[in-house]
This record gives sequence, C-alpha cells and structure tokens, in this order.
Amino acid sequence: MRRGWLPLALMTGLIVALGAYTQAHHSEFLGKLNLNGLLLEAMPLLIVSLGQVCALLVGGFDVSVAALMTICVVTASFTLTPTISGIALIPGALALVGVGLATGAFNAFLIRVLKLPSIVATLGTLSVLEGASLALRAYPTGPINTDVTNVLDSSVSFVPYAFIGVVVLALAADFWLYRTRGGLALRAVGLDATSSRRLGMSAGRIIFLAFVACSVLASIAGFYLAAEVQVGSPIIGNQALESIAAAVLGGASLAGGKGSFVGALLAAFFLTEIDNVLPLFQQPTEYADMTIGILILLALVLYQAPELITRIRNARRRPAPLPATTGEARTG
Amino acid sequence: MSTPGPDRPVALTLGHVSKAFGAVQALHDVSVECHEGEIHALVGENGSGKSTLLGIASGFLAPDEGFVEIGGTRLKRPSPARARRLGLGMAYQDYSHILDLTVAENLYLALPPRERPPHRRLEHWAAETVAEFDLGIPVSTPMGSLSLSERQLLEVVKALLTRPKVLLLDEPTTALGPEAVGKLQTLVLERARAGDAIIYVSHRLPEVLSVADRVTVLRDGVGQGTFDAAAVSEEQLIALMIGRPLDVAFPVRPAPAEEADVLLAVSGLRGERFGPIDLALRKGEILGLAGAEGNGQLQFLRALAGIERATGGATCDGRELDIRSPLGPLRAGVVLLSGDRRGEALFPVLSVRANATVQVLRRLARLGVVGHRRERRAIGDLARRLRVRMASPEQPVQSLSGGNQQKVSLMRPFLRGDVKVILAEEPTQGVDVGARFDIYEALRMKTQEGTAAVVKSSDPIELAGLCDRVVVMSRGRIVEEIPGHELGERRIVEAIVGSRSAVASSQRSST
Repeated sequence: MRRGWLPLALMTGLIVALGAYTQAHHSEFLGKLNLNGLLLEAMPLLIVSLGQVCALLVGGFDVSVAALMTICVVTASFTLTPTISGIALIPGALALVGVGLATGAFNAFLIRVLKLPSIVATLGTLSVLEGASLALRAYPTGPINTDVTNVLDSSVSFVPYAFIGVVVLALAADFWLYRTRGGLALRAVGLDATSSRRLGMSAGRIIFLAFVACSVLASIAGFYLAAEVQVGSPIIGNQALESIAAAVLGGASLAGGKGSFVGALLAAFFLTEIDNVLPLFQQPTEYADMTIGILILLALVLYQAPELITRIRNARRRPAPLPATTGEARTG
Repeated sequence: MSTPGPDRPVALTLGHVSKAFGAVQALHDVSVECHEGEIHALVGENGSGKSTLLGIASGFLAPDEGFVEIGGTRLKRPSPARARRLGLGMAYQDYSHILDLTVAENLYLALPPRERPPHRRLEHWAAETVAEFDLGIPVSTPMGSLSLSERQLLEVVKALLTRPKVLLLDEPTTALGPEAVGKLQTLVLERARAGDAIIYVSHRLPEVLSVADRVTVLRDGVGQGTFDAAAVSEEQLIALMIGRPLDVAFPVRPAPAEEADVLLAVSGLRGERFGPIDLALRKGEILGLAGAEGNGQLQFLRALAGIERATGGATCDGRELDIRSPLGPLRAGVVLLSGDRRGEALFPVLSVRANATVQVLRRLARLGVVGHRRERRAIGDLARRLRVRMASPEQPVQSLSGGNQQKVSLMRPFLRGDVKVILAEEPTQGVDVGARFDIYEALRMKTQEGTAAVVKSSDPIELAGLCDRVVVMSRGRIVEEIPGHELGERRIVEAIVGSRSAVASSQRSST
C-alpha cells in the first residue's frame, strides 16, 4: 500500500469531519440508536463495495451487482418465508449464495470465454436479473423471516456483529492483497495480463475468480438488503454505481491492479453517512447524488496528483541518455 | 566457446513448424534442434520469422503444423505455463515486466510457484538475487522507473531464475551498452557450460558468432540451413539472409540534386529510446530509415510527428518545429503516415471520401457546411492518379485492400497542398505487390513537387529501391549513412547486422 495512504486518509478525514459537523448541530447524531441505524443501513453497500474492488482489481466493472442484490431479496421472499424456522432456513439462505455463484460464473463466462468487455457483459446480466426479479414479484410482497433478519441485525452495544465482520474481512483482504503471493498474482494480472501470461500465470482463472467473488459478495450484501426491506421488493437494489464510486474513492484504479478493500469500506461508509445526514439538515436527498458525483471527480483528480506531478517533472528533465554505441560491440 | 558434441542429448526440438498469420506465411516447415550445452544462434532479417519461432517454442503461439519437444517431452497444448514447467525459460524482446510492481515483486513472480520463498522474505530474497547477478539495482523501486538497459538485464535474470534447461533469448542486447553485452555473454556462456541449451536470437552477427556454437538462418519464414559457427563466415550468413527475389519495380530515381535546400534539419533530438540524432533532409529527397526492429527508428519518426516525447531541436523550412504535440508538426506541414492503418491512420468505417478529406474540411466547407459533391470533385482526379481501386468514394475504407487503404491515407498530403515532409512508417506493410509500385510512385511524385520524405521500413529491398539515401539506426543512434550510389539490399543488411565488412567499408567511405 505504498502510495495507497491518500484515499484512506481522505476518507477517514471526511467521515470524521462530516460526523463532527453534524454532531455540532444535531446532538442525537452520535446517539447509540442513530449510529446503530447508520451502520446497519451501510451494510449492503459496505459488502458489495468489497466485491466491486475485486472486479476493479482485474481491470473490470460489475454493474450487475445491484440487480443481483435485488433478485437475492426476491429469492429470500420465497426461500426465507416467516413459516420456515430453525435448520430449515439454511437451504433457503444457501439459495441466495447459489444465485450469487451462478451469476458470477455467468458474468465470468461472458468476459473470459466470449471476450466481452466487462461493462457490456454485466450490463446484459443486469437487464436479465432485473427482468427476472419483476417476473418473480411484480410488486413488493412476500415477507421475509424475521428470525433471519434479527440474526443479521444483531449487535453488541451499537455495533452490528456483521459490521465487525466486514471490517475484519477488509483488513484481511488488504493484507492478502499486498502481503501474500496470491494477492501479488492478482495485482500482476490486473496491471498487465500479457506479461502475467508470459510469466506462466493463469490470468484467465484469476479474472474468472475475481468476478465470481464479486457476485458472491453481492449476494451476501443481498441478505442485508433483505433485512433492511423485510419484503420481496423487485426494485430495491440501486448500489451499482455507488459501489463503483466507493471502490474508486477508496483508491481502486479504473485500469486495474490497484485498490484497497479498507479504502472501499471507508468510502462506502462515508457515502452512506451523506445519505443519512442530509435529512437531518432538511436537505433533499438529490443533493446526496450531486455531492457524491462531485466528490468522485475531485478524488480522481487528487489521487492522480502524485503521478501528474512526476510526469510534469519528468517532462522538464531530459530523458536519460542511451548507452553509447561503439565499435566494441560490433566487432566483439 | 563450449563444444557440445552431437552425442549430447537434444534439449529442444522444433519439428517441421509452420505458422501463418492471415495470408502471411510467417514460418514454413522450419526445424531446429538444440543440444544440451549448446548456444544456438538464430539469425535472419526483420520479419524472417525469428520471433514467431520463439513464440511457438515458448508456448505463447500455437503452430499450425509441426511440434515442439522440450527435454524430450512433447508440448501438447501450447501454453507458456506448461512450457515453463518442462524447463523452458524465455527472455522476451519486449520484456515480461509489470512496470507498476517493484523489481522485487517482478523477480518473485518469475520464480516457479513452488520455489518462491515466503512472501515476507521477498525483498530480502530479491536483494540477494540481484547481488548474485552482480547488478546494482535497488529492489524496492518500481520496474517502470529503471532504465531500458536495466530492464533488459533483469528480463534475462528473470528467465534464468527458473533454472531452465532450455533458455530462449530474443534480442537480449538491443538496449545494452558494450560492457553490459559482455556481461550478458559471460552469463550465457556459463549457463551453456552448465549444460543448458540456449537459443540466441540477435541481428548482430559479430555478437552472435562470438558466442554461438551453431547458427540457423531464416529467410522469409524458411530455414536456410544450420551451420557450425566456427566454419561459417559473416559474408556467407548474409548471403543466406538476403536474396529474396525482386518482385516489384521502383520508380526512376531522379539525378541527385546536391544543392537543393535543406527542408528538415534535426539536431540533437533525443527521446527515451533514441538519440541524440542529427539529420538534414533536402527538398525532393526520400530518406530511408533502416535498422533491426526495436532500435528506435519508430520512436524517432514519431518524435518528429510530435507523438513521442523528445527533447532537442528540429526545424522545418527554416522555422522551429514544435514537437510537443502532433499539432505543431501538422501545422508546419510535417505529416505522419502511420503504419497502424486501422488503429491510427484511418477511420475504418468511414467512406474513402471522408477519410481522404478529413484534414482539409475547412477549405472544402462553405459557411461551415461541407458539400459532398465538392469533396468528391476534390478527390476524384487524385484517386485516379494514385490508382485507388474502389467501386465508389462512398465505400467504407475498411472494405478496400491494404494497398488501397494506404493510398487513401496518401491522398491526404496531396490534398493539403502545403505539405513539406512526409514521414512514412512501413508504407507497404501488408500491401500486395501490385499496389506497392503505385505507393512508391506516389511518394516519388509528391517529393518531386518540392517536398521530402522519410521512409521507415524493415524491408531492405524497398529501402534500396526507393530511397535516395539510407541511414541505419542501432540502439537509438544513426550508426551509418549509405549514399545513393552504394545502395543495395546487401549493403543495408550488412550495416544492420553490424558486419565487419560494413564497418570497414563505412570507414573507407568516410576517409
């Protein structure tokens, strides 16, 4: 994470600044109840952003994640109905993960085998999943088992267990990415697939797995979305662009090979914080979208600043001279 | 020099390998055997199939016919990973580095997975490795910040890290100075003495002959035989490398006009891959740019067009040429005919008309509106003069043959009228024989209108036939200038391969 401190510092700073400002005007903001609500509200985006980082690391996008989360909610309204209880809930929960696995494999197939650009491939998947959700539930109906949602939402003090879980997961993932050979291989493939192949790495398999991981994480995010809405809504998921925004704000490069799971987590939390805070100031939520858009643009410029500076500096300097060509090598 | 007896087992066999890319037959029934402990050189002109052959041996390319055996085991399905497992290491001409990763990480990735030390010892291990090869390179810097010669040495080190039984080196010295070349050759000789089989591809004959045991010559994708390096002379090798039948005529070269004004003057121009270069181009002159691929010719040409970053000066028609962006040269009348016709030079789906007139729309427009009829009138006569074969000017340019596409991009400088210098990059690559003469003639026609042209080509026959003068580049510099009366395929090839006779004759001509 040599140069990766900037997004982490920026996001932390923004979270604290916005939190402090809000607290100064609304003392209930840092209350346990509100914080617990904020963290639970953030869960779907937090998890799916981790998935999005996987896709970005191999130089792709996955815009189908929100539709996948929606169909997971819809699936839950069939497989996790209030009438089921105990052990019998496990197959119902596995069904959601199964949908994630299948979607991930399908996306990866389109991208690796049919060689479609990831944005086109996942856009297609998005439409298919959206249509399927609406076919299964034409309108929001089908309550979801509250035993399940209670387990998902259970917290120690104001912190949901699940939140602790994703923080640990993100820390572990970043450690894996920058401190192990598997992570090194993933970054290598994301940075330069041709060289990676020449070095004997199976670039195709790594890209395949990255998209599957992205979809599986999105399906887990679907659980938390289900816990939030508690009903089989076919039009609920809208985190596709936000998850890409979070990954990028968190330091992921659109060209692949660079990114941070912790950074994405911080950024996803910050984006939720904006959504959460605006109503307190009686501001319309449209401003949230505009704020996020402007932030992304600013962040992209800022993150590129170090590279820009070196490029400008290099442009002033003369390029290094080449080794001299003399008769020695030719007559050797 | 090690002497591998023919009794030593064969480590690498390429058997009856053929490979075509589209209509181009890159390799035709080529067989090479390399024994343990042998340094086997592979020589040939640009485009003779050397890199294709290595690509097949390393599992990166699949042969259409023939087979690859590494250490006696058939490479069934081509895959670089599989070839590596069988004991093959390769140093690629354009490297296999990941520039954003550190030197240490790059070296680490080059190791076979089972031999990698624990990741936490990565930097320590890499520092030891670099020291072992006696390279003073800091391992925690990104690969992209190293010089080209450091990157090239590390590419060879990476190939050696796999402790290969078969080592393929594709032009491993293009960015190296004499000292580094010596170092690399010592390393290669050591490996051969240890029993490795080594395929050494280089266009520098003296360098090759000083280390190789045997030499295989390729010409136009066809093997010309394998020889004992000690028993074959440079002249014999050159004679085998050249001698493609002359299949095309060239326009008549006008009498040299020594007194013509200098149109383009380059002084001390240098970029990342070339320089410093000094050059003067006279009105009416076609200057050839020769050299083995990857010696900076392309970058030099593109720097003049403002595409490649460079420092130093150039003047066109007495005025300073602004090469910070492509706009400066374009405005000054210096135009590039890109060798990448699909990607850069043309808009493949647009019509011939639109492609031809794109640079002169302002002149053809009335009140900001371009009349198609005016456009068609402007190109009609020219299309006939250049013999562009098309059904209609509204035909998408991608539906034309390669040669006619090239003619369409050549129409632009004719239409502009204020063009001073044409920079042509491989103007007849992928162009059929019939159309080639038309292109040569068009270039000659245009230069006789008082312009000049620089033609970068990898085909010595073309350079010898078309140009008034040829400069040869090596490692980014002009190493030789061949005047018109000396031009010939052999003379150019000799200069490119750095043969002693060429050096001698250039010394003769300079005294």
